Amino acid sequence: MSSSGDDVEEDLTRKQRREQARGERKALEQAEVARAARRTRLTQLGIVAAIVVAIVVVILVTTGGGGKTAVKPGSAPANATVIEIKSLLDGIPQKENVLGNPNAPVTVQYFGDLECPICKEFTLGALPTLIPKFVRTGQVKIEYHSLETATREPEVFKTQQVAAYAAGKQNLAWYFIETFYHEQGEEDSGYVTEKYIQGIASQVPGLNVADWTADRSDPVLANEVTTDAQAANNAGFTGTPSFLIGKTGGKLQPYTPSSLTEPGPFSETLEKLLKT
Amino acid sequence: MIGLTILGLGLTSYLTYVHYAGVPPLCSTTHNTCLKVQTSQYSKLAGVPVALIGLLGYIAILGSLLAPEGERARFATVALVLGGFGFSAYLTYRELFSLHEICEECVSSAVIVTVLVCLAVWRFLRGDRLPAGTAPQAGIGDPPNPEPAAPLGAPS
Repeated sequence: MSSSGDDVEEDLTRKQRREQARGERKALEQAEVARAARRTRLTQLGIVAAIVVAIVVVILVTTGGGGKTAVKPGSAPANATVIEIKSLLDGIPQKENVLGNPNAPVTVQYFGDLECPICKEFTLGALPTLIPKFVRTGQVKIEYHSLETATREPEVFKTQQVAAYAAGKQNLAWYFIETFYHEQGEEDSGYVTEKYIQGIASQVPGLNVADWTADRSDPVLANEVTTDAQAANNAGFTGTPSFLIGKTGGKLQPYTPSSLTEPGPFSETLEKLLKT
Repeated sequence: MIGLTILGLGLTSYLTYVHYAGVPPLCSTTHNTCLKVQTSQYSKLAGVPVALIGLLGYIAILGSLLAPEGERARFATVALVLGGFGFSAYLTYRELFSLHEICEECVSSAVIVTVLVCLAVWRFLRGDRLPAGTAPQAGIGDPPNPEPAAPLGAPS
């Protein structure tokens, strides 16, 4: 009896050991499967991440991430710019920094920095529609004023702005301003050199360069830049472009258009003002 | 993750509305730098407003989260979120280094997608979790029709 009991016990123990071994083997296999699955997932993640990085790099490069240089005067793009600006401004009265009929019922004061890319967006975006619609028709006049934002060096800012105002002494400031915005270089690249400014002036139709050069030394123009800064400060402006608009001769109010590239919102506001 | 995605969806819906309605976005900065970012040359990609691209992205992410749980759904989620993260990184780069302006709504979306990418990657790498009490399946190399183990203590 005892020997068969021992056999049964031995059988049970052998079965338990077999079950245990099977369990361990299964656990090892499952762990290996899990490790393989994890490796596969990591590989898949790596591939997706690499594709995403490649796409982002392509987008960066194609949207101007590689930097740009200022348009060279006399080049095909520059000549096209001159033609475009002439068609926009020719025939519209100008006096110093003011574009449009001096007796226009509505005034817009446009505070900008010639090196400001956002100002460029407005100048090349919404403004080309607003000028023929409101300025050429004598309903609105636009005064350009300066506010240093994008230009990092105060001396450069003053030099470029005085150059624009010097063109204004020949009532050609807006040609200078428009050309500058059209041919902006990469922000913070130091592209505004004396050569660059001379290049802009060379594209202003009818500009007497000798007189312009002499007028750049006029301290009155440098004072204008200072006055602009004070006016901007009084209006609470810290960025560009910034606008004051209102009835001519009345109090001008700060105005922030909901779009700088679409003329619709600015246009609606001007129309409302004109109706009042 | 669904909650965060819905939050991102709401944000991009608002930005898309702002773009098409031509109204200024809500912004706490003095000179509405959000508007400048939203109306900049980088506010569109190949003519499509980036807010709309973001909106469609969040919709796709939500769809993948609501799909039946599985390896494919988890992979779809992590792929979409990684794409969204990359796009968000590009837009943030443009804000900081090209425009030098900050758009609060854009930053919020970037934060949301960053948290989402961490969660999605963790969820994907974690894989399936077996419910408690499920017996392990037979592994390779086991003898066919193994004898079922007798419960311990059963009478002989």
